[in-house]
Amino acid sequence: MDNVFALATLTAALRLSIPVAVAALGALVSERAGVLNLGLEGMMLAGAFAGYSTAEITGSPWLGLLGGIVVGGLFGLLMAVLVVSGRSNQIVTGISFTLFAGFATALLFQQSYSIGQFPPRIERLGLSALVAITVVVFAVVAYVLARTTTGLALTAIGEAPEAADALGYDVERTRTIAVGISGALAGLGGAMLVCGPLGLFIENVTAGRGWVALAIVVFAGWRPAPVAVGAFLFGLSDAVQLRLQGADTAIPYEAFIALPYIVTLVALVVRARASHTPSALGVPFVRGAA
Amino acid sequence: MTVTPETPAGSIDNGESDVDADERSETAANGVARRAMGVDLVSLVAIPIVGLIAALLVGGVFIALIGENPITVYGDVIDGVLFAPRGLSDTATAATPLLLIALGYAFAYRARVFTIGAEGQYVVAAAAAVGVVTAAGVRDVPGPLLIVIGLAAAACVGALWSGVCGVLFNRFGASIVISSLMLVYIGQAMLQWATRVGIRDPDSFVPLSRSVGAAALPTVPGIDVHLGFVLAVAVVPVMTWVLARHRLGFRVTALGHNPEALDANDAPARTIIVAVLVVAGALAGLAGFIEIAGVNGRLNDAASVGYGFGAIIVALVGRLHPVGVLAAALVLGGLDIGFEVAARSSDLPTSMAGLVQVLVVVFVVAGDALLERRRSTN
Repeated sequence: MDNVFALATLTAALRLSIPVAVAALGALVSERAGVLNLGLEGMMLAGAFAGYSTAEITGSPWLGLLGGIVVGGLFGLLMAVLVVSGRSNQIVTGISFTLFAGFATALLFQQSYSIGQFPPRIERLGLSALVAITVVVFAVVAYVLARTTTGLALTAIGEAPEAADALGYDVERTRTIAVGISGALAGLGGAMLVCGPLGLFIENVTAGRGWVALAIVVFAGWRPAPVAVGAFLFGLSDAVQLRLQGADTAIPYEAFIALPYIVTLVALVVRARASHTPSALGVPFVRGAA
Repeated sequence: MTVTPETPAGSIDNGESDVDADERSETAANGVARRAMGVDLVSLVAIPIVGLIAALLVGGVFIALIGENPITVYGDVIDGVLFAPRGLSDTATAATPLLLIALGYAFAYRARVFTIGAEGQYVVAAAAAVGVVTAAGVRDVPGPLLIVIGLAAAACVGALWSGVCGVLFNRFGASIVISSLMLVYIGQAMLQWATRVGIRDPDSFVPLSRSVGAAALPTVPGIDVHLGFVLAVAVVPVMTWVLARHRLGFRVTALGHNPEALDANDAPARTIIVAVLVVAGALAGLAGFIEIAGVNGRLNDAASVGYGFGAIIVALVGRLHPVGVLAAALVLGGLDIGFEVAARSSDLPTSMAGLVQVLVVVFVVAGDALLERRRSTN
């Protein structure tokens, strides 16, 4: 592979890793607070659809991103009502949300853009804009988690909610906000996918990237910097598979299609044991239960 | 440290955190425990029915927004299922894969082992089983035996594709939710390859497998549905019996409620995790072969139609109880068929049935949350 191709692949890798990275940062916020957000894929998909239709109607991809944030955030808050206040099973609720978003976006898409007609392309954001947004999101999440009282309280709530509660922190409120933020970031990630590299929406456009983001958080050991590394790893394998699909090789191209998911699976397996899980992850908080 | 699978098996947890397992089972499993013991009629029966009604109401609003008359549409749905010539047998056919896969999910979820990967097990097993029954030497075997070979191959491959998630969890602490889903995408890529190259009919211009030939499932006289439906329904009493009477059933229930007791009784949790995943995968694999051998006789590259995800809804709405799962599979399968009929005489999009189905599960989950909240504040 000569240098031009290598550079093109690296650019593509960056482009493809950005939506996953932003969604993974969202998952990180919610999981550090002790809530497993398995609705992430659905929130990403809902954000992608909201981003696409907002950008298509208003003509501005920037407003598209905003639409993604709002819709993803609303999904997140709705899920928080169920899993944080209602203490419903986080796994079952999250999966239900993802399924719901899948069917709802498919229906709305079919309704809004008649079948057979090619849905209109929207104006795309350049790579530099996407990178800038990602850097800002990353910096804010990393700074807040590591350097602020809010971040430390969030982590404490994910590790020992009883103790945090005894110190006067509002566990329920903090977790609700954290899940809302994770939804907003997942929605932003989805919107960045359609308003960035793709420029259009298709059914199930996120193709499991929300689940990949959840795996990346495990791979990263619930720390922000390795999240960026993990997301780039996924983006790189995605870019490589896109390039190799067109190449004439002896390996069937289906193997390349599966490559990003194989890489994710391997990353999950290799790092799962080594990473430090928030102690109260997935456990609903009931005051006075312990 | 003992494995405490009630959250880690499904969650991202790596199985090494040192939270007291007692605390966990107390907070996380209290609602589930009551339900699974079958003593709670409100959550077993009332919540799914109210959820279905609520979903139909919200679905009706959607239908009205689209510009159709909800009453006419729902009338067509009911007509299409109950009174159309093939309505009931089509419903049974549509319910078959959902029922088989959902029974497997219910079994695993009762042990609080959360897998969502049946879609992958379904396609990989279907492709492998079609490959086996159409292989030279095998395809000339008499029909009934060929069907048994196909079912066995599908069950084994499905079990393997699912069981591997259990091994990855036990050995490396990899979340079963995520690993099972990654294997769906890998399985779908394998389906593409199989229909394009591996088991392709050489005379076909599009990716399409060879015909299963004599392994095609016969139609059961009287009910006008393929044999697979009968097989799927037969799993219901078997699983009910296993859960109520068999040692494996007790261990599944124990793993779901109180893993500590399980460890004390010297039945390792890790073995049961793999066992429930193997059962779930075998059932999903059977669903794959039965759907192909019962309906089209051939596998194409679009065979991944989402039964593996729809069945999650069926399992949850059926309250993880085999009989409830049967009822849910028939009702949700009926919605599929009914909306298909209704769409012929209206502008309804094809995804309308899916939306109503998923709304049912959202309302069921919300109902659970509401109930749990009320009980814990009392």
